[in-house]
Amino acid sequence: MIGQLKILKWLFIFIFLANYSISIGQKATNDILINISTSVNTNDSLSIDKLKFYLSNFNLLKEGEIVWTEKKSYHLVDISKQKSQSFTFILLKSIEFDEVQFLLGTDSLTNTDGVMGGDLDPTKGMYWAWNSGYINFKLEGTSSPFPFEFHLGGYAPPFQTVQKIKLQTTNRNRLNIGLNITDFLNQIDLTKTHKIMSPGKEAQQLSILLSTLFSISE
Amino acid sequence: MNKNNIIAFLSVFAFFGSAMYFPYTTTPVKIKYPEYWPKPVYNFEKNPLTQEGIDLGRKLFYDPILSKDSSISCSNCHLSYTAFTHVDHKLSHGINDSIGNRNSPSLMNLAWHNSFMWDGAVSHLDFQALAPISHPAEMGENINNVILKLTKSTDYVKRFYQTFKDSAITGEYLLKAISQFELTLISCNSKYDSVMRKAANFTLQEENGYQLFKKECSSCHTEPFFTNGKFENNGIPLDSVLLDYGRYNITKNPNDSLKFKVPTLRNIEFSHPYMHDGRFKNLSEVLKHYTTKVFPSKTVSKHLGNSISLSSNQKVDLTSFLLTLTDKNFLFNKKNAFPRKFYFPSTEKK
Repeated sequence: MIGQLKILKWLFIFIFLANYSISIGQKATNDILINISTSVNTNDSLSIDKLKFYLSNFNLLKEGEIVWTEKKSYHLVDISKQKSQSFTFILLKSIEFDEVQFLLGTDSLTNTDGVMGGDLDPTKGMYWAWNSGYINFKLEGTSSPFPFEFHLGGYAPPFQTVQKIKLQTTNRNRLNIGLNITDFLNQIDLTKTHKIMSPGKEAQQLSILLSTLFSISE
Repeated sequence: MNKNNIIAFLSVFAFFGSAMYFPYTTTPVKIKYPEYWPKPVYNFEKNPLTQEGIDLGRKLFYDPILSKDSSISCSNCHLSYTAFTHVDHKLSHGINDSIGNRNSPSLMNLAWHNSFMWDGAVSHLDFQALAPISHPAEMGENINNVILKLTKSTDYVKRFYQTFKDSAITGEYLLKAISQFELTLISCNSKYDSVMRKAANFTLQEENGYQLFKKECSSCHTEPFFTNGKFENNGIPLDSVLLDYGRYNITKNPNDSLKFKVPTLRNIEFSHPYMHDGRFKNLSEVLKHYTTKVFPSKTVSKHLGNSISLSSNQKVDLTSFLLTLTDKNFLFNKKNAFPRKFYFPSTEKK
């Protein structure tokens, strides 16, 4: 009996330690802060009510070779939520890179692979219930006198909207990625195009336009 | 402190510690289907079935809490005793007595489908429930509001925790739970299935009907699910009020105009009225259409071309075969029906 208790005691101590053990070691990682900013000159005639978009599948490259890939790489950037505009990559100090690549929107697998949580949760208001798929980019506002609503998305050929963005960088600790919304609105004739709410050719064209308006500042 | 006290003290820690590794245990469930069926297309690894999840999904399926004014549940248009369709109703009904623009389809063998709705608007079972929940003429509700309501119910909070081990209810969990129940709706015990398993024989009439079926119908209503899962124009003319162009609305491709998803014929005896807008009341109207009234158009199914030619005797034979697709084990399965015990636990027979 006593022997059994002794074994039990050590077993409990073992479980206890296993649960609360902490890993000890030197920090061998580098934290890279990613900041996403959107520039738009609002004034009396232009106001923005909503601006949300997905950035996904982040890769870091060195001389054209992928050296680091973010796991579960989905970020819903929402200008009304400060927290959503920055995130951190943690990678080994030894990794060097000179380019960052990512997608504006979500790839087709994400759109057909069943429901997911986190930033992809359908409660985020970025999912079309009656024409399945994620809204990659949502911009709503008024350029007086025209209210505009752009909900850009669609993963099925021939109207795929997801865009690959490639940006060169020399910074090792911080990536400031900007999206120029002023240019976007300036390049659209709002008298003709002010409401896009479903996949199609227009959504695709505007997504391509958006992909050219990303930049990185050191 | 004596030895026993130390042991008791450590035991308490060990208990809570190990509870972190083994929180609520869930009971895994595997769906059962005939071995000669293909593998399901649904990825169960991403949403493993458990009895807790299925029960939760079943409770949600029968709960009007999903609708804006708590008047409509999924089961309003998908009744278990009629193969989960809305028998005798051409078009689906919603909150405030509103009427939708499509006939609610039957629900069964959904793990083998990779598109949903008559026009394939939904690409994955998990997302299907979002559509009726948010449609103004169906449940007219917002998923965030559904979650808010569910969070106020201690029974739901408990069930979500037991199933997903998370104290928060999310859109992901809500939709996964509904999928779990729907995935268990498997119809594979009709007379036809018994004949395939060599446990029964067709009558002569049924056998004649089966041969006709294989010749005239099976390129679209392919065995064993009695649908090829594709979109076809079966030659019913455009309804001038509903103006429903089907698949074209989704793809914007003119070649998809007037195409709708081929429905299963399993339990067809109970799933009337027929077609995406419920325009045919009974099977004889359906056969009349296919034999005399196929409306020619650019997109009409190449399998159909002209009308099918059937004598009146052949129509009777074909109908008697179609009735062998009735699966009473499925239709009257208590596990699929309204879960009284989840709503009124105290009335449960001891």
